[in-house]
Amino acid sequence: MATRSKLKDPGLMLTVVMVMYAALVFVWWPVDTYFKGISLVGWLMFIGLFIWLLLGVIYVLWIEKLEEE
Amino acid sequence: MQVTESIILLIYLIVITIIGIYFYRRARRSESDYFTAGKSINTFVGAFAIFAAVASSSSLMGAVGSGVALGVPYFFTYAFGVIAILPFVMFLIAGQIRRSGVKTMPDFFKQRFGTSVQIVSAIIVVIGMTFYMVPQLTASGLIGSHVLGIDYKTAVIALGIGFTLYAALGGMWAITYTDLIQGTLMLVGIVVLAMFILVDHSGLSALISDALAVDPQFGDITQPWMSYFGLFIAFLWFGIISPSVVMRNFASRDAKTARRSAMWGTVLYLALFLAGFVVTSAGASLGIVETLDNSDMIFVSVVEHYLPAIIGGLMLAGLMAAIMSSADAMLLAISAGIAHDIYKENINKQASERYVTGIGLIVMIVASIVGILIAIEPPGLIAIMVGWVGGFLLSSFGFPLVLGLWWKRANKTGALMGMLSGAILFVILISSQVLPTNAEPIIAAPVSLIVMIVVSLMTEPPSKEVQDRVDYYHQHIH
Repeated sequence: MATRSKLKDPGLMLTVVMVMYAALVFVWWPVDTYFKGISLVGWLMFIGLFIWLLLGVIYVLWIEKLEEE
Repeated sequence: MQVTESIILLIYLIVITIIGIYFYRRARRSESDYFTAGKSINTFVGAFAIFAAVASSSSLMGAVGSGVALGVPYFFTYAFGVIAILPFVMFLIAGQIRRSGVKTMPDFFKQRFGTSVQIVSAIIVVIGMTFYMVPQLTASGLIGSHVLGIDYKTAVIALGIGFTLYAALGGMWAITYTDLIQGTLMLVGIVVLAMFILVDHSGLSALISDALAVDPQFGDITQPWMSYFGLFIAFLWFGIISPSVVMRNFASRDAKTARRSAMWGTVLYLALFLAGFVVTSAGASLGIVETLDNSDMIFVSVVEHYLPAIIGGLMLAGLMAAIMSSADAMLLAISAGIAHDIYKENINKQASERYVTGIGLIVMIVASIVGILIAIEPPGLIAIMVGWVGGFLLSSFGFPLVLGLWWKRANKTGALMGMLSGAILFVILISSQVLPTNAEPIIAAPVSLIVMIVVSLMTEPPSKEVQDRVDYYHQHIH
């Protein structure tokens, strides 16, 4: 069971989502686009703070659902 | 000397010590561990406990200082890493560590890979924590020199000695309990400060405009890309690689409460950094950062400028005491690392308790002296120094820990080589200064990963027993 099921771990899947958003920020790196005088890079990270929280909430609810099953 | 602040600081320290002693005695009387007693603790209290364990007050002060000195995107990079700490820990290691039943990182390395890996990890913890004392001492030296009206060098030496005495007398329990109270005060304090600032500047938009009017570069990326990326990954991994505290929270309480506490802890952390954004903008709008001897002092300037003396004094006192308890927790980790994990467990199993405690005390004093000597001329901004510690621990431990939990084939030689190659490469990179600051883990951590995989594959697989244990770590997945 082990090897295959590890790939279905919610933690691993959400880590992939987290890495994808971080990669978006650090690959795109829009240094010279500004919003309200602050580089878009800063704002993308700011949005990221809420995404991290959202991923945390999804994980908690997801694991609780798995446990109930 | 700031009389009001000094008096508040003194009263605060006395009160917090009494509270520490009270809880210490209570914990002793019930003879149950704080964290197992935590089984009866609800999600709300647990959230504050885990928040206090992760959030270091000196790093908040440092994040604000770096944002004012290097532009607000630098502050956001800091936040982008640290807000992810608890979710990232939950995703990758929390459930598995819980099933392994260990309470500290060297314990895990012993269970999974054996004694030699445990010893190397304990040595790395000692080096990392000794250097982690430096930003704590810098932060407290800056606050202390301002409040008490003495010069920075004297403040660092005096407070460094004070920290060591407190750690030697108080022990771990008092610190753990007072951490909880200080974490709470810290959060309330900075939210109140942010409100005062927002009222003063009539809202966030106006505040950002004020900051940009004074410092047109406030919104810019001022450093090389690698510095931001390196800082981000060092902080993202901090929960995984920071010794014990986070792990203990997850290991001991029941799983559901631990997860919910971590989730709410993230909410608190987010609130802390949203308020920190306001404080950073206010710091830039003061336009005085160039006049300060040390940019990290800007946090204190903002507190003084916006808050009435009594509230400001309480906030600085809380900040100082919180830094003291973090520094003491580090000193105790250092002394336990050498006296217990290395000496008692591996060199002299028959050593008497008294002798081991004595060694611990000597180690603590040596570590404090090293920390004080470096902090007298701090080698960088607080945020950068904290980033170095995170980068060092990530480069050494990050992959041995995660692969140990996830990959059956990872073996002792692979873990040992991965750990040493990452740590040594980090030290070479940082001393040769070929990379932009904080960029070291971008190279050192992947090297550690590759070395660990290649060496593991080239050597004997671990025993069936060990491989079965890795499957057991993952039994919660169906």
